[in-house]
Amino acid sequence: MKKLLAVVLTVAMLLSLVSFAAASSLAGEYEIKVWVADKIKDLTEKQIERFNETNEDGIKFKAVVESQGEGDAATNMVNDVEAGADIYCFAQDQFARLLTAKALAKLGVKAAETVTATTDEGAVKAVTTGDGTMWAYPLSADNDFFMFYDKSVIPDEDVDSLEKLVEDCEKAGKYFSFDLKNAWYNSCFFFGAGCKSEWLTDDDGTIISVDDTYNSDKGLIAVKGMKKIVDSDAWNSTSEVSAFESNSAIVVSGIWYSKDAQKILGDNYGVADLPSYNVDGTDYHLTSYFGFKLMGVKPQEDKVKAAALHKLAQYLTGKDCSLDRFEAVGWGPANLEAQAEEAVKNDPTLKVVNEQREFSVIQSAIHGSWWDIGKVIAEEIQPIAADDVDGLKQVLQNYENKMAAVFTMSSAEKEAWTVIGMYNEADGFFFTDYSDGKETWTADLAMVKGDNGIWKTEQAWPMEAGVEFKVRQGKSWDVSYGNGGDNFKVEEAGTYYIVFDEAATTISLEKAE
Amino acid sequence: MKAYSDLEFLRLNKWQKMLYKLGRFFSSIPKGVAQLFIKLWGLIKNVFLAIGREAKDIVSTFIHGDWKTKVSYLVMGFGCLARGQILRGLLFLLFEIVFIGYMILAGAYWLSMMPSLGKVGPSEVYDEIFDTYVTTYNDNSFKILLYSVLTIFFIIAFIYTWRINIRQNKIAEKILASGKKLKSAKDDLRSVVDDQFHKTLLALPLTGIIVFTVLPIFFMVLVAFTNYDGAHDGYASNLFTWVGLDNFNTMLSWSSAGGTQSYAATFGEILAWTLIWAFFATFTNYFLGMFVAMAINKKGINLKKLWRTILVMTIAIPQFISLLYVSKMFAKDGIVNGFLMGMGWIDKALPFWEDATWARITVIVVNIWIGIPYLMLIATGILMNIPADLYESARIDGANPWQQYTKITLPYMLFITGPYLLTSFTGNMNNFNVIYLLTGGAPTNPAASSASGSVGYTDLLITWLFKITTGAESKYYLASVVGILVFIVVALISLIVYNVLPSIKNEEDFQ
Repeated sequence: MKKLLAVVLTVAMLLSLVSFAAASSLAGEYEIKVWVADKIKDLTEKQIERFNETNEDGIKFKAVVESQGEGDAATNMVNDVEAGADIYCFAQDQFARLLTAKALAKLGVKAAETVTATTDEGAVKAVTTGDGTMWAYPLSADNDFFMFYDKSVIPDEDVDSLEKLVEDCEKAGKYFSFDLKNAWYNSCFFFGAGCKSEWLTDDDGTIISVDDTYNSDKGLIAVKGMKKIVDSDAWNSTSEVSAFESNSAIVVSGIWYSKDAQKILGDNYGVADLPSYNVDGTDYHLTSYFGFKLMGVKPQEDKVKAAALHKLAQYLTGKDCSLDRFEAVGWGPANLEAQAEEAVKNDPTLKVVNEQREFSVIQSAIHGSWWDIGKVIAEEIQPIAADDVDGLKQVLQNYENKMAAVFTMSSAEKEAWTVIGMYNEADGFFFTDYSDGKETWTADLAMVKGDNGIWKTEQAWPMEAGVEFKVRQGKSWDVSYGNGGDNFKVEEAGTYYIVFDEAATTISLEKAE
Repeated sequence: MKAYSDLEFLRLNKWQKMLYKLGRFFSSIPKGVAQLFIKLWGLIKNVFLAIGREAKDIVSTFIHGDWKTKVSYLVMGFGCLARGQILRGLLFLLFEIVFIGYMILAGAYWLSMMPSLGKVGPSEVYDEIFDTYVTTYNDNSFKILLYSVLTIFFIIAFIYTWRINIRQNKIAEKILASGKKLKSAKDDLRSVVDDQFHKTLLALPLTGIIVFTVLPIFFMVLVAFTNYDGAHDGYASNLFTWVGLDNFNTMLSWSSAGGTQSYAATFGEILAWTLIWAFFATFTNYFLGMFVAMAINKKGINLKKLWRTILVMTIAIPQFISLLYVSKMFAKDGIVNGFLMGMGWIDKALPFWEDATWARITVIVVNIWIGIPYLMLIATGILMNIPADLYESARIDGANPWQQYTKITLPYMLFITGPYLLTSFTGNMNNFNVIYLLTGGAPTNPAASSASGSVGYTDLLITWLFKITTGAESKYYLASVVGILVFIVVALISLIVYNVLPSIKNEEDFQ
């Protein structure tokens, strides 16, 4: 009897292995929907066809390729994830929205490794959140902005100076088109002055906080620089190159308009990276965002189909397909091997893109509110006199307040106490920014409420003597306690829990065992 | 304000008369509002009284009815079947079976989920063999809300049918008691195309209105009490749930959040501009359109048809195209500024869309351009209808053209177009096209630009609502709140104005 049982079990095991093997194969036919930009629709159809013929897993896609502009694709996905395409292209600025709507499937561990190894470093950073979760396949690396200009109006030697360009335009009675009513474009003044605006995300793609230094001395430099163009009658807020037809001499825009600009300007077509502006004798080179076109896979309930789709997305963003697109529509590849090709390296437009890339900040997930918060800066500073420093500072303060309001807190969070303080060499649990020589406390350490209103950190931290901190409520400085009015100071090095008594408003340290 | 007798009124001079009329108008408003509430209260009272009467009738039918009637309380249509009205009985029974079947198979589930709008959100696991993340979708808050609303409508329909079923029994008993015969199936079928024909005709439109208008409105109103937004789509990202009156608190609270003014202040500002816009958009079009119609109608004007055709051309071109084009024309580097500067009349571009006041005036002026032709067409017809002998006798009495206009033309026009004015006022309050296509709300109002989308100086409530839904965070719940508030404002204005309109108050004046 026992033998029989053993035999049955063995057979069962073997059977399960067989079925296991069958289930782990990707071979099969899949019906999928793909959304790409109109320009590359036919090309993508051909590429999928080629994938069907060449892939070694026996995957066959019956793909319906539809044309969807990169902005619309994201909106349609967000509106109805169920009805959206299985694979779709989108521009960098839609990344955070798609993450919020959970319209992107995470890349598997191996897929992420492959993409990291074969793709532009910046592009990898742009699709990663938290400690290395990747969400999309970089399709192209050319989304920054630079300057098209009319050579008959602008002398070549002036293209490096914003002041000279504004002067040239004023003199010729022409417009300087620079879409500063758009946060994407006006951020270049701030990044140029050395400000930063980075959204911190977690592994799930949720935006948790922002590290933003617009409201600082550097930010003041940036708005002073922006005033130079905003105050001029020559300023026209648009990024359409058709503005050349209505009296513009300069249009700040991106690679997507290079062909149109060439057509309009003909022999007078000039292109250059962004200029520098000069505040108090120092030059600051305008520093653009650098973003990417991305390809995303919709989350799937069928794991086999999901795996097949990821294979296809990898193929479509690989070397061959990237080069196809470069040849057909001039998109700069994100794939490293494709980037190394001579033809790509020598392309004149991509050259300017890459020159500007020297002065750029990688654009990753940006909270959707930022676009509305940032875009008013140019309009807000316009009526303020250029030497009214307090007025300009107020604009930056408004900006900071609005940014703070993005993370609306629940009432529990508003009542919670947190520790905020100095950087600690031993472990570095409090974040701080030393970049401008001044320390700023930027991150809060959570505390847990115990009995009788006693709050305590979740774990003990090693602290050196002399470390300073305070305890505050609702992550704001409205209610905070230290040692009297001063910061609380650690007198003896050791590993401590920080304990705060809400009733007595006193801080104490509790040594860990 | 004290009402004057005719004699007292005639003794006043022109300004006093005008003041008196204005005073009467404004002093009548509180009374009008009070009457409105009294009417509403009466309506509510009547509904409850009606329900009470029905309940009483249901109970008394049960007590006095025979056993067939009593069984019908449980088994719908039993009475009809037992008394030989097979078709009616079967229909009742079928409806009950369908209803019970639906409730067991689906309705009960949707209703049970309604209080929570879903319990289990989507989840995700990593599959190592396929190196892929697999998602499992679970409850769908959106569907739960939609289907539970449907279920509630279905239950109401069932209760109504059940009530008819009982009344049928009562009527049948009465007819039989008086010795007459009941209607057969044949009679029923005939009556559907005969004495009950109005019901047959109305069945389809009524169903359409309920399914395509009432149900969506009801659903959208409910959204205002949830946290349905871009991050809580109810299925793929997170479930959404009931939040009570939180959203109304947000919209109507005066506490400002971080650098931007409060929602209530923003709402107030936009509402004020919306009313100003609606007022000017309606009355500039009205009077200028009437003026153009009168000018063309004037004796001695040649080529009347040509002038009318030219004006009507603006209607022929879709607004979508003409408005976008006009918006470009008035841009800083547009053709209008280019022309003015080219002629040397101005040194720098006029801020048509960049300055709040300029932009507001420009949209009103452009709206005049697209609105006049409609008014001209309406006014032409009405003006031709005014009896010519009125003018003739006025002339004989020595009235000048202005007097003729204010004493004959205007009262006549106002009387006939009063309801039109009201609808066009409310229509302008929600005039999405003109504002959105011309300015998109620009220029931006920095103080009012909050985390839920930027607000401009020319934004109407309706374009603001659009911005909230399509903005970064897609706050559908706030948009729904704005929608409800817009409805309340529009309804109040309409009801008050409607009740003081001459066409309603003095119906016989011009007959």
